[in-house]
Formats: sequence, structure tokens, C-alpha cells
Amino acid sequence: MARLIFNRLISAIFVVLGVSIICFAILALAPGDPTQLILPDSAPQAERDKLREELGLNEPLPERYLLYIGNVLKGDLGTSYTYKQPNSELIFQKLPHTFLLATSAMLLSLLIAIPLGILAGVKRGSLTDVFSMFFGMLGQSLSPVWLGILLIYIFSVKLSMLPPFGAESPLSIIMPSITLGIPLAALITRLTRAGMIDVLSEDFITATKAKGITNRKIVFKYAFKNVIIPIVTVVGLQFAGNIGGSIVTEEIFAWPGIGRLFATAIYNRDYPLIQSIMLVLSTVMVLINLSVDILYTFIDPRLRESRT
Amino acid sequence: MGNQTLKRLFRSKFFMIGLVVCTILIILSIISPWIIYYDPLKTDLQNKLLPPRWLADGFKGHILGTDSLGRDILARILIGSRYSFFVSFSAVAISASIGIMLGLFAGYFGGWIDNLIMRIGDVQLSIPNLLLAITVVAILGPAIQNVILVMVLTIWVQYARLIRSSVVISKSMEYVSASKILGASKSWILFRQILPNVLTPCLVLASQQIGWMIFLEATMSFLGMGVPSPTPSWGTMISLGRNYLYIAPWVVLVPGIALMITVLAFNFIGDGVRDAFDPKMRSG
Repeated sequence: MARLIFNRLISAIFVVLGVSIICFAILALAPGDPTQLILPDSAPQAERDKLREELGLNEPLPERYLLYIGNVLKGDLGTSYTYKQPNSELIFQKLPHTFLLATSAMLLSLLIAIPLGILAGVKRGSLTDVFSMFFGMLGQSLSPVWLGILLIYIFSVKLSMLPPFGAESPLSIIMPSITLGIPLAALITRLTRAGMIDVLSEDFITATKAKGITNRKIVFKYAFKNVIIPIVTVVGLQFAGNIGGSIVTEEIFAWPGIGRLFATAIYNRDYPLIQSIMLVLSTVMVLINLSVDILYTFIDPRLRESRT
Repeated sequence: MGNQTLKRLFRSKFFMIGLVVCTILIILSIISPWIIYYDPLKTDLQNKLLPPRWLADGFKGHILGTDSLGRDILARILIGSRYSFFVSFSAVAISASIGIMLGLFAGYFGGWIDNLIMRIGDVQLSIPNLLLAITVVAILGPAIQNVILVMVLTIWVQYARLIRSSVVISKSMEYVSASKILGASKSWILFRQILPNVLTPCLVLASQQIGWMIFLEATMSFLGMGVPSPTPSWGTMISLGRNYLYIAPWVVLVPGIALMITVLAFNFIGDGVRDAFDPKMRSG
């Protein structure tokens, strides 16, 4: 099994390298002359040429790529055009906020979805089941663009209960979490419900019932363990997705996270920052996927043998 | 598609509702230039931010109100829907075509082609979709073909992977070996025998993705990475209308509800198709 993990790790490293090539290509191929964004328009051509030399812009592409990778490994992700600060500082300042948001959205959705899904699966055809189906369908159609603004309208404009912007008060996290959490909750509800239905119809459950074990025990001890596997995968993937996909939610709620930083960078065409954020977030995604994969092999013993 | 599947499809309530709503929406969007009363691009500052009149003035009034530049919202919603549908359908069709082709080659020829295509797919999947999409549009410029290109980039991998696994399985089946013995060329086997058999999951995938594409387009427009104004798009309408949430909420709420209903209807269709092909019939 250690071999499996090792293979995965090597794969992951190659993927990150591939991502770094793409990120580098973005900066290298982006239109516009970087010196124009750093020096004022009135600067003489000689100064521009000198700056180009300093930034290494005249070297051939492969060399520039190696220079870039070398810098990254030293922790230097370049400097932002807009903020004139090192990108790594900016990114690591904002990243915790996004993690906080993603985590609370995930917790919220799990809290709603798993009980709902289990109940729906166990009591098929009941009101809970129907409700869970509606919730599943509706939730997945509520894009953050719409849901976020709707929430602001209801709770800030009409009811004046929650702060719509920023991250000052502890109440500020509620609406963004709901915005991110509801689509996720809908997905998990459907998965849990489907998983429960599948598992409960299997032979070994009937056998267990025949042995006389109580319903409750069946549900929690045997059925649930089987359902958990796809849920873990999905939650892991969605969590990673929320890190990168929180742009809209953070924009709407002015949440000071990395999504918002990215949006600002795009708006200002701040290519070094854009590139650095892409690299960092992609690496985070790869790491999370890797962890989910490894976790998977621990949970499902069938996967512990070598995989094709 | 077997008869069984079709029967299941039409029996599903969700699917039928979705189908009806989507058909109405698509028809509306196609005939919209002829049924709207106001020009969606014409600004009319004297009449800006009017609340919806509903049918108080009959069909000649601003049924859903006006936005901050005095443009009729209903007209913009209808014309905006053309853009959304065009972009989303194109994106799904193109990425399906490309993904299927690449998946076929990867699955059938294996070896380095397979490795290359799958690695590229892996790398791309590791970059958050939205980030990649926005960045590419930022570099290439806001134009409709770039938006479609970027959306294709987001989802081609799913088709490629799906087809590839199906092809790998089909490759070892008897009818393929029989054809080889009879002297059939590789491309004949690939396109005439294997392809028709692996298309079904793609159909399911495509039907589920349309809703997602509409949502993605709206999100990109919201962030300013769709087609430039003055072309109306629901995402842009929501983004511009945000500022007026406190004083003129309908400017945001109307396109938002339109978006929600549309995505919901297409999701009904997607789910219906998936359930019809899945013999276990879980969602009922």
C-alpha cells in the first residue's frame, strides 16, 4: 500500500509541474508589456530596456521557465503589479479566509445533508423523502450568483438581520456559508439518499435483519459505512472546488479571501498575481485530491491491493 | 435508445416538466426579436429604474420594469436568453465532439497517445475551472468565441474520459476481434462499430451539462468576462443591478429568477435522462 501512495505522490508531482507550465505560459503569453505596468508612461526607452533585462524578459522561454520554477521553489512567487507586494504575502494572507468559508460551508452542508439523506433513504416515499428530492433538485440549481444576492435581499435589505458585506462581525460568515453550502448540501443529500437505498436493498442487510439486529443498528453500523465512501470523495472534491470556485461568493459578499483577490487581479490585469494564485490554488487542489485518494484506500479495504 | 428507455423517460414527471419548460424557453428565445416591444439596447434615461408595471399598460408597457439606463428588462431577459442558450449549447456540442474524438483515440490506440491525452486532462482538472476560464478570457479578450472556447476547455475532459473507458472495454469484445479477423480497417472498427455503442453515456452527460453551462456563462458574465455590453446577458444584468438592490430590487431579482428557473428546468431534463438510462430507477 505504501507503493500505491508513492505512485500517487509521483503522479501528483507531475501534475503540479504541468500546472506550473500552464501558469508560466499565461504570464509569458499575456499581451501587454510588463514594463508598462511598472514604470510610468513617461519613462525613457533606455530605462525600459534596462528593466526588461533585469526581469529577464529577453531570455528565451525555456530559460525563463526554469528561472520561474527556481524562484517558486525558493518561495518567491513574484510581485503584484497592483499591490506592489510579494504575491506570496498577499496570497497567504487571504487564503485562511477562504479556507474558513469553505470549511464552514462544508460543515453546514454535511449537517443538513447527511441526516436528511439517511432519513430519506430509510423512509422511502415519506414526506421527508419527497422533500429531500425537491431540496436536491432545487439546491443544485441555485447558483451562488443568484442565491447570494437573494439572501442579501431577504436578510439585509428586507429584514436587516445580517450584515451583507465584509468579515467584521461573526454574523458575516452566515450568508456566504449558506450560499456555498446549499448546492453542496443538495448534492450530498442526493448521494446519501441514493447510497442508502442501494445499500439497504442488498442481501447482507436482509441477512442482518434476519439475525434479529435492530433497525437502528443496521442503519448506523452497516449501511452507513458503505455510503460514506462516495460521500468522502465528493466532499473532498467539492471542498477543493470551493477553494477555487468561491470567487463569485466572495465578490458578492466582499469576503476578503483569495477568490476576491483573484477577481481584483483579473480586473487589473495583474498577471503575476493571477499566475501565482492559479499555481497555489491548483497545488492545493492536487493536494486535497491526493489526500482524498489516500483516505479512500484506508476506508475501503477492497482498494488496498494494487490498482490497475 | 431502446423503447424501454423512452417509455421511462416520458413517464418521469420531473423530466416532462423540464421538457415543457425548456421548450417554451427555447421557443421564446428564438422568436424574441419579433415579440418584444422595446429595443433591449436602447437607453432611455428619463424612464430609468421603473418598477414592473406587469400588465397595467397591456403589452406595451414595461412589463418587468426598466434598469438603470432605462432599458426594458423583459426585452433584455429574452434577448439575453438567446445568448445564453447559444453559448451553452455550442459549448456542450463542441466539447462533446472534441472529447469524444480524443477519448476514442486514447482508448483505442492506447500507448503514448492515451497517456498524453489523459495527462493533459489531469493537469487541466487540477486547475479550478472558473479560474482557468476567467484567465483565458482575460487574455484573449471578451468575445463570444472566446467564451465558448473557454467553456469547451472546462468540460471536454469528462467526455474524453468517459469514452476512453468505454472504448477500452469494447476493444476486448468479441465483435471487434471478429471484425479484425475479417480484415476491417482500424478506423472502420472505431467509427462504425465501437462509437455507436459508447455514445449513450455521453448523451446522459451532455443532458446534465447544459444546465451547468448556462450557470457557468452567467457566472462569467457576472464577473465581467462574458461578451461585452451592450449585448444583454443575465449575468451582466445581475452584476449591474446589484448596486440598486436597495432601491430597485427587480433589476437584479428578475434576471436571477429567470436564471434559476432555466437552470432548474434543464437539470430536470438532465436528471430525467440519467434516470431513464439507469435501470435501478432510484429517484422515481
